[in-house]
Amino acid sequence: MTTPQIVKPEAIESTLIAIWEQLAKENKMRACLFNLIVFNRYSSRTDYIRNIVQKVIEKFPCRLIFISEDPNPHAPYLKTAVSVIMPQGPSSTIACDHIDIGVAGNESARVPYVILPHIIPDIPVTLLWTEDPCIPHPLFEPLSKLCHRIIFDSESADNLLAFSKTVLSLKQNSKVDIADLNWARTEGWRDLITSLFDSSARFEQLKRLSVIKIAYNGKPTEFFCHLKIQSIYLLSWISSRMNWNFHKADKNLHFEFEGIQASIESTEWEKIGPGTIISVNLTTATKEHFDCIRIKERYHYVSIQISSEEKCDLPYQFLLGQTATGGSLVNEICMKGTSKHYLDMLKHLEVLDKDKLC
Amino acid sequence: MPNDAHPLNEPGRTARNIDPCILVIFGATGDLTGRKLTPALYNLGREGSLPANFACVGFARKQKSDEEFRNEIKQDISDFSRVKPIDENYWKTLHDQLFYHQSEFDDDAGYERLKEKLSGLDTRLSTRGNRLFYLSVQPKFFPVIIEKLSKHGLIYDHEDETKWSRVIIEKPFGRDSDSATALQKDISHHLHESQIFRIDHYLGKETVQNLLVFRFANSIFESLWNNRHIDHVQITVAEDIGIGSRGHFFEEEGLLRDVVQNHMMQLLSHVAMEPPVSLSADAIRDEKVKVLKSIRPLSEEDMKEGVIRGQYGPGFINGEPAIGYREEKDVDPKSAIETFLALRLFIDNWRWAGVPFYLRAGKRLPKRGTEIAIIFKDAPGVLFQQRDNPNLPNVLAMRIQPDEGIAMRINCKVPGPSSPIQPVKMDFRYSSYFGQSPPEAYERLIWECITGDGTLFARSDEVSESWKILTPILDYWEKNQPKDFPNYASGTWGPKQADEIMEKVGRHWRIL
Repeated sequence: MTTPQIVKPEAIESTLIAIWEQLAKENKMRACLFNLIVFNRYSSRTDYIRNIVQKVIEKFPCRLIFISEDPNPHAPYLKTAVSVIMPQGPSSTIACDHIDIGVAGNESARVPYVILPHIIPDIPVTLLWTEDPCIPHPLFEPLSKLCHRIIFDSESADNLLAFSKTVLSLKQNSKVDIADLNWARTEGWRDLITSLFDSSARFEQLKRLSVIKIAYNGKPTEFFCHLKIQSIYLLSWISSRMNWNFHKADKNLHFEFEGIQASIESTEWEKIGPGTIISVNLTTATKEHFDCIRIKERYHYVSIQISSEEKCDLPYQFLLGQTATGGSLVNEICMKGTSKHYLDMLKHLEVLDKDKLC
Repeated sequence: MPNDAHPLNEPGRTARNIDPCILVIFGATGDLTGRKLTPALYNLGREGSLPANFACVGFARKQKSDEEFRNEIKQDISDFSRVKPIDENYWKTLHDQLFYHQSEFDDDAGYERLKEKLSGLDTRLSTRGNRLFYLSVQPKFFPVIIEKLSKHGLIYDHEDETKWSRVIIEKPFGRDSDSATALQKDISHHLHESQIFRIDHYLGKETVQNLLVFRFANSIFESLWNNRHIDHVQITVAEDIGIGSRGHFFEEEGLLRDVVQNHMMQLLSHVAMEPPVSLSADAIRDEKVKVLKSIRPLSEEDMKEGVIRGQYGPGFINGEPAIGYREEKDVDPKSAIETFLALRLFIDNWRWAGVPFYLRAGKRLPKRGTEIAIIFKDAPGVLFQQRDNPNLPNVLAMRIQPDEGIAMRINCKVPGPSSPIQPVKMDFRYSSYFGQSPPEAYERLIWECITGDGTLFARSDEVSESWKILTPILDYWEKNQPKDFPNYASGTWGPKQADEIMEKVGRHWRIL
């Protein structure tokens, strides 16, 4: 990354041009697949968000416009800085633009006007909104109008039920595509379960499911505290796909569907993200067991053991591939459209979580 | 059950199923294994695209231990992987998944021992009986290996839902139409078509796959993609290198069999095919076969006028002296093998009637490059002619390798009062948008095979139709030996006759 240069908003483009003229001598190539606007309030999560953004630009270079709002300023301000990032390290020939905007107080009203001239036309605009969308923010509407796709993180939501209502309503009332980082975090498990039941015979077994137990890592950190969300997303996804008829749920996260008992439990693992799903155990009415659990020493691998009263298969492993390489988050940011499974899952969640369990 | 019907599957979003499996590479001590296959496996595994329960068994005639095999593979990965240096953490995983099996290709006892070894690995590594056999061997061994695999129970019924066996066959698939038909007949006694994956590594290239996206996801191009707007098409596969250490191979095969019958005919069918009814493997391959079936058979006159062969003599590449083909190692000093071919084909269908497709491939040309160029018809010359000189036609050039991208030549007014018109280039480069090195073709193809998708592999009727078009050339050459070989100097764009077939109709080969 070149040293950030603090500039006035009107000098953003000319300063970038000057930096690029310098970099042309070093054979750097300006690359840009889309515009990525990130809105973030300074907090303990900021480094985590920057880490996600770094993963995205490593895979897909883009024009990054990173807005940081200071929630406790001494006085209102708006500062802009520009630099060029070499996403794959200083020796990489590929580089992309970075516009940093720091803002506080009522100066935030100027932000859309600062950004607007710097959106590269004809390529997608993605907004990564890292705050709770249920809490009104004056920048949300103007920024969302600029973009084709909004990425939320339900981890930031204080109330999952309110979050799903907000997201569904936004989807219904606008043409913008929506994605959710917590949904992306469950991608590996969704792929695993889909592959486990992909043949006709296995699908028949899935239809006879009677018990499902999901365990997650309940060890919180400063920036992750809503730990049940990924597990409840997974349960809501399976039940929505299989059209299970919901009866009731309790505060201990026991769920009752017609003929099916489900539970979500907490366990504690080191070295793995808080809220991450650790295991999924499925049992059919005819006593076939599908036990899937992460391997402690290689936690991106899940050991799968299939057994019945008559026989016990050799265990084998499933690599949560995209999750292992951070690819799930990148894909969710770059993919087109809104996942139908995600929207169905959210609709189903409104039923499962009607008593605000999460 | 079909993916679309499965309620847990979300088309376009759910990852494909990667079953546990064992890959057996026949010809494990060969050049292709070291340069391409094992680096591809390493990169697939490093990026999490191999199954967790996986093993690779190298099958070859040389005596060596598992450990010796692993050391050689590690060296190959260090030398040839697209990502360097080697990731020691991942290497430890791959190291424990590599095994070696010594046997002759026709030795029954060797296959029986292989069966036991694979069965033992299934138990140790939970690979669940799935088998992928990669035949990286000379084509003469294809039938015997497949017959032995079948005889020893290593090929399963293709309808078995519990486990699968698949075979990847390297090119060339046959030497001509008859031998390809015979080979197909031989192997189809033991394998169902769905179990055969005929590899053409060009189909694994991102840029080739993008051809369909480019054509059928962009309405502005597809509406011009016909004989009303296109004057002609040029497909070039140029190499600046010679044959290197492949003297024996090249003396047997020549350029037509090595490059034209497979890679170039695949490029041509991608450019010329009609939109498939879906993106399924068979729908795409059906359309490609239709194109090949529509190619006008070459007459004796076409052989004289529209097919130019060449062989490189001494010359200079990048200013450095380069020897001629006949001076290369393992080459007959009087060899009549072609190292250059220029060819004009017509596709007799509604879309392409009257549009010539010029194919050009060669060794020791001035630079390396593979390109498909669509040359459009001239704009009506009423306006903007400059002293009776017509403007240059628009060209859409799709660069397959290197510097992958798409460029468009358009005419533009030079600023100023005199208004001369100058051709300019709009240039899209993959690297400036996507910024990452695309996976090697072999990575993609091995992965496709593990997931059971045959879209990027040639079907038997594609191979057969391609041979039907080109075998008459081989027969004609057999009867009419070249008298002027070598007929082009290394470092030039081929024999002058290749230029003449274009010039006499007022066209020119593009300079890459």
